[in-house]
Amino acid sequence: MGTINSAFSLISGALNADQAALSIVANNVANASTPGYAEETPNWQENQPVTINGVQYGAGVTETGATSLRDRVLEQRLDQQQQLASSSGARLTALNSIQALFTPDSGSASSTAGDIGSDITSFFSSFASLEANPTNNSLRENVLSSATTLAGDVSNAAASLNQQSAALDQQASGVTSQVNSLTTSLAQLNQQIQTASPNADAGPLEDQRQEDLSQLSQLIGINQITTENNGISVTTTSGQTLVSENTSFQMTSGTEAGVTHFFVGNTDITSQLASGGGELGGYLTARDQDIPSAMNSLDQLAYNISTKVNTLNNAGTDLEGVTGSVASPLNIFSQPTAVAGSAVSMSVAMTDPNQIAAAAAGAATGDNTNATAMANLAGQTIVNGQTPTDFFSNFASTLGATVSGVQDENTAQNASVTQLQTQNDALSSVNLNDEAGAMSTLQSSYQAASQVFTMLNTIMVSVLNLGVETTVS
Amino acid sequence: MQQYGARREMPELKQLVTEASRALARLDASRLEELALSCQALNRDLAVAGEEDRVELARQARDAAGEMAAFAKVLDMTRGNLNVMFRLQQLLSGRLEYGESPAREWAPPGSGHGDN
Repeated sequence: MGTINSAFSLISGALNADQAALSIVANNVANASTPGYAEETPNWQENQPVTINGVQYGAGVTETGATSLRDRVLEQRLDQQQQLASSSGARLTALNSIQALFTPDSGSASSTAGDIGSDITSFFSSFASLEANPTNNSLRENVLSSATTLAGDVSNAAASLNQQSAALDQQASGVTSQVNSLTTSLAQLNQQIQTASPNADAGPLEDQRQEDLSQLSQLIGINQITTENNGISVTTTSGQTLVSENTSFQMTSGTEAGVTHFFVGNTDITSQLASGGGELGGYLTARDQDIPSAMNSLDQLAYNISTKVNTLNNAGTDLEGVTGSVASPLNIFSQPTAVAGSAVSMSVAMTDPNQIAAAAAGAATGDNTNATAMANLAGQTIVNGQTPTDFFSNFASTLGATVSGVQDENTAQNASVTQLQTQNDALSSVNLNDEAGAMSTLQSSYQAASQVFTMLNTIMVSVLNLGVETTVS
Repeated sequence: MQQYGARREMPELKQLVTEASRALARLDASRLEELALSCQALNRDLAVAGEEDRVELARQARDAAGEMAAFAKVLDMTRGNLNVMFRLQQLLSGRLEYGESPAREWAPPGSGHGDN
């Protein structure tokens, strides 16, 4: 009886093991489209041998669970690249909005920030026109009119930048609750995994944890550290702990000097998050770096034009024979008190065109010396060592180069994410490609692309040297 | 040989570079090999191209500078990914052995401790 039982046990064990393996295969197929699902392979454990008539027979195998085909190195590389791509993507969106602000709109009848370059030219040209006929009222009104257009476009641009900054601040603030929800889930999953499977792959629980990590990587820059008993600790890229074992450390936000700052406990991690990656990193880089940089350029432009023009106008004589003084200044623009804030508050203070001091101090009202001096400001290096038009032009070019650079980075990072997803899919998802095949594709693609790059580079170097003579001294 | 000027259907260099970046992103080795052949043909044509064609290609090259920079970055990141995959493959196949003292590799056979 024992013999039959043993034999039956051996056969039924094999059938059970096969059935369990089939269940795992079925599970793989059923979850083929589940995000983050990693293919499982059955684990087989050899059973104790059975003795039949004094002879030991192998008792077959028992299916003892499943192991997901995953690799943390690859998954972490993918998360890391995802952080970079999300960050540059969020930053790029913000930069495109800033750039659009300063792009001339030829179809628009109204003047906009995109017209600041031509506004500057028109403003100084209006003084050049006044030179020819310094007492002409229409030409004087034209000076004030072009000053108003310039000041309006500069202050509107500054106001738009402030609006964009506020919008980014709001978007950044909204990320906090998503991060906290994910870190809470990660801590809970850590506990479940450590309880259920401290020494082996925990299958679906690890899939869920990886999915949470991927989502978190899209939001902020993180580091993952594998801990004992199959746990994972999560920190920001600068080392601030967000998840440790089964505990999550909540991120909070608060307003300081009108902008949202982020904290873990009492530690302000705003600047760390800005450089860390993820969407939040992109929002904060645009809010704290790109917009302030653009605003600073506008402030420099507004401050220098306003103060230099006002100084010259106060040094001359207006149509009534009056010269400006501290008590009664003849300011064309509202006089800024500091560089910061000059752009947003740029406006025309003068209402009477007769107060334009076209004549030199003490000269007759028909004199045009001071009008000439003010027209000449256009060609003088009065804004950070550059002429006003060059300064604005360089600002626009620099902004364009920044947008282009971030666009390139984003293209490359997204490409890298796509490649890694392909590799990860081959290794851990349910498809027919095997890992070796995926690796081979990556390698051959890289080699072919290297060839293309080398040849394109040769072509470009060859044609771009065309017509350039090499002088030998 | 077909003259450069006769290649009316040839896309702008900018499009070619963009296509190369895209193909590399999706690891389309076949497409990249096709593009490599196109570049080879372009290179050959360039050798016999007239002044006008070279000037036109120079314009296209300047126009494609941004796309070329992006392609270089994609290539660079692909190399990074390839390195990760190589290392991963080595780890998976057990070829990398940790814990081995590197000094052992330098000690001549039969030498004892203290031999350098």
